[in-house]
Amino acid sequence: MTVDKQTPIEPGVQRKAGRQPTRARRSLAATLGMDRFSGLYVWAVLILIFSIWVPSLFDTATNFRIIAGSQAVTAIVAMGLIVPVACGAFDLSIAGTMGMGVCIVVWFQANGHGYLLGIFAALAFGLLVGLVNSFIVVKLHVDSFIGTLGMSSVLSAGTTWVTGGFQVANGISPHFTAIGQKQILGLPLPVYYMVVLALILWWMLEYTPVGRYLYSIGGNTQAARLAGIRVGRITTGAFLISGLVAAFAGVLLAAELGSASPDVGVPYLLPAFSAVFLGATQILPGRVNVLGTLIAIFLLATGVKGLQLAGAPGYINDLFNGVALIIAVALAVRSARRKA
Amino acid sequence: MTAALTVTNMSKSFAGPRVLESVSLSVQPGEIRALVGENGSGKSTLIRILAGFHLPDEGSAEVDGEPLPPGRGEASEALGLRFVHQDLGLVNNLDAVDNIALGVGYPSFRGRIRWRQERKRTQAALAELGYKFDVRRPAGSLAMSERTALAVARALAPRSTPAKVLILDEPTANLPAAEAQRLFQLTRRVADSGVAVMYVSHHFDEVFELAQSVTVLRDGELVITRPVAGLTEDQLIELVVGREVDNAAHVANAAERRDVVLEVTGLGCNVLTDVDMTVHAGEIVGVAGITGSGRDEVAAALFGGTDRAGQVKVNGAAVPKLRPDRAMAMGMGLVPAERHANAAFMAATLRENITVTRPGIHWRNGILWRSPERSDVVKWLERLDVRPRNSEFAMSELSGGNQQKVVLARWLRMEPKVLVLNEPTQGVDVGAKADIHKLIDDAAAQGTAVLVVSTDHEELVRLCHRVLVLRRGRIADEISGGRMDHDIITAATIGRDQHSAA
Repeated sequence: MTVDKQTPIEPGVQRKAGRQPTRARRSLAATLGMDRFSGLYVWAVLILIFSIWVPSLFDTATNFRIIAGSQAVTAIVAMGLIVPVACGAFDLSIAGTMGMGVCIVVWFQANGHGYLLGIFAALAFGLLVGLVNSFIVVKLHVDSFIGTLGMSSVLSAGTTWVTGGFQVANGISPHFTAIGQKQILGLPLPVYYMVVLALILWWMLEYTPVGRYLYSIGGNTQAARLAGIRVGRITTGAFLISGLVAAFAGVLLAAELGSASPDVGVPYLLPAFSAVFLGATQILPGRVNVLGTLIAIFLLATGVKGLQLAGAPGYINDLFNGVALIIAVALAVRSARRKA
Repeated sequence: MTAALTVTNMSKSFAGPRVLESVSLSVQPGEIRALVGENGSGKSTLIRILAGFHLPDEGSAEVDGEPLPPGRGEASEALGLRFVHQDLGLVNNLDAVDNIALGVGYPSFRGRIRWRQERKRTQAALAELGYKFDVRRPAGSLAMSERTALAVARALAPRSTPAKVLILDEPTANLPAAEAQRLFQLTRRVADSGVAVMYVSHHFDEVFELAQSVTVLRDGELVITRPVAGLTEDQLIELVVGREVDNAAHVANAAERRDVVLEVTGLGCNVLTDVDMTVHAGEIVGVAGITGSGRDEVAAALFGGTDRAGQVKVNGAAVPKLRPDRAMAMGMGLVPAERHANAAFMAATLRENITVTRPGIHWRNGILWRSPERSDVVKWLERLDVRPRNSEFAMSELSGGNQQKVVLARWLRMEPKVLVLNEPTQGVDVGAKADIHKLIDDAAAQGTAVLVVSTDHEELVRLCHRVLVLRRGRIADEISGGRMDHDIITAATIGRDQHSAA
């Protein structure tokens, strides 16, 4: 999935081959990496502004810990989403899968089974959702947007069915909640899971043939197929990964909350998509990528937190996320068009 | 007499070098003017400025004495400019009737579109170009030549203002010879009615056949405008390239009969029925045929891109259908037609475009190492003389000819036993075309069995040891040795019986 999908340029419009204008005339902005690292600069500026504006509240180690901890689960779901988006498929069922992950792991404990079995069942369920999604998209040739939208509705029904429509909080093992709440060096465990997952996915997307295949399929499915890539198989793998990661995020969320309620995953859908697409404007512009996604998440979280501490009302979260996404993607499209 | 089209000192640059440098020209009513130049010489930019896609940096244009407001497509239309763009500009999910109406609108009868009448008019317009197909099919499902005809029909459809200038940007890129002839006839009729025609083409024989005058662009500058009369093809090539090109007729030696590598029996696919063919190691076999002969289906069907009947064997092992990955693993390679849709990853780097077929060889200890991959790719860029040599450039930054070389490099790197090429030099300039032909020769010399599908019959004569001619989905003729001549191939594709004539 490329955000700045470049329209095929007519040969005559192109620069004369052999001359390298972009390399020859590096502007100051290019030298500073404004095209690739603009997010980092904006982030730094935001931190600076809020440090001056509300120093007593914002500029504290506790606050940074809160931001890191609260965003870890969102970051994990978003990173899982990168994989199908890289190969041009949407997975709108991630929030539903996450919700089911929460409900399953809690249900197992509430009914006297061990939490380990619960975790295992939740992860297996995530894979199952990925398998069904890929069947719908690859075999039945349903557009991924529609197919996974349908799946998300099915999963939403599933969460209500499992929980009976109420919050479930009984029988939760303290060992289980430790998975989401224990802190090492002042940071909650999910932050570490996030880092490990980021390393794994960065490696997979950038340093393995599979990553190359994923981006190729996302770039031009037909060309990928005619270059001998097994499009169906790779797409299936992508859905399995997003399903598994979403279920894992569900397990973490359950451990953080210590309870399950229907639709607990829903608020994670939009931030995950925003982060992935915003992330596609960073580090490797035009490509969804892990580091860009992480930058996007923490950039948005910093902005929101800062505004909240400065006394902005509660709806600032949604407002800030939405506006930031539109502006960032608009800037990316603009720079891509100027390049063309 | 007022010139139909006057361009004065037109300049344009995109982020850096000038792609158009103070170009001036004028075309008289009724004149057919050829506009030639290599890819990247500025032809398409000039046309896109006239069409209002791009704003010129400097310069102006006049149509029949009226100044053309820059950057406004609808104003170009209103002044009487008509275009058939290189990419045709059709809406793929609309049918022929709707596509024509895009420019013209539907004449309605009491607010109601009379579909039957509209379909008839569309059919008539297409019939004039020698085409007959279901006008209710979406444009995207039509063959390339049918789409070209549709785009031409749309440009010529009557509007509220009369046409003054018809601009055709490589209209024959996807047209077989017989159908190109019809287009020429139509073009001449249009010119005879007093419309100026600007005709962009890489095929110089068309320039000589059709045009009265020719304008040559090189590196964005106007080299010369002169009458075609008194000009030789070699001179024209030299004007375009700026150097002499070795255009010596290549004598394809009858390949010594080595082992059969590709063996096809009973191939069927849409039109294709029961086609048998064999290609030996080191042999280059051509496939010719008009649109609808099944020519454009051969390559994809062999490789597994589309469903097929019959058996395809590489070195005696059967290749399963609809499995490009298996075909590749068994030693087949495919350079498909229509690069943008089927082969190029435009936003990806040249490195990724070339290694996509087998990135794994640089995968060691769990890492896909960049630097050996880069030097691997640069080696291929050098070998194929791709410019720029930088493996990290995006595919979209290259000219058409260089893009095609990159796609070719992707497959040559695989050292295939069988290389299938579909329109290997489509939309490629003269210099790159000669290079690509040389590379195909070299691949064959190293023992690759090569199958070239092409509508360019000169190309087939230049490359092939023998040419299979398809008519109505079957092999109607095989041309080799002394009969290897593009006129004979063209005649064979449209079904004139050469045996009785000889």
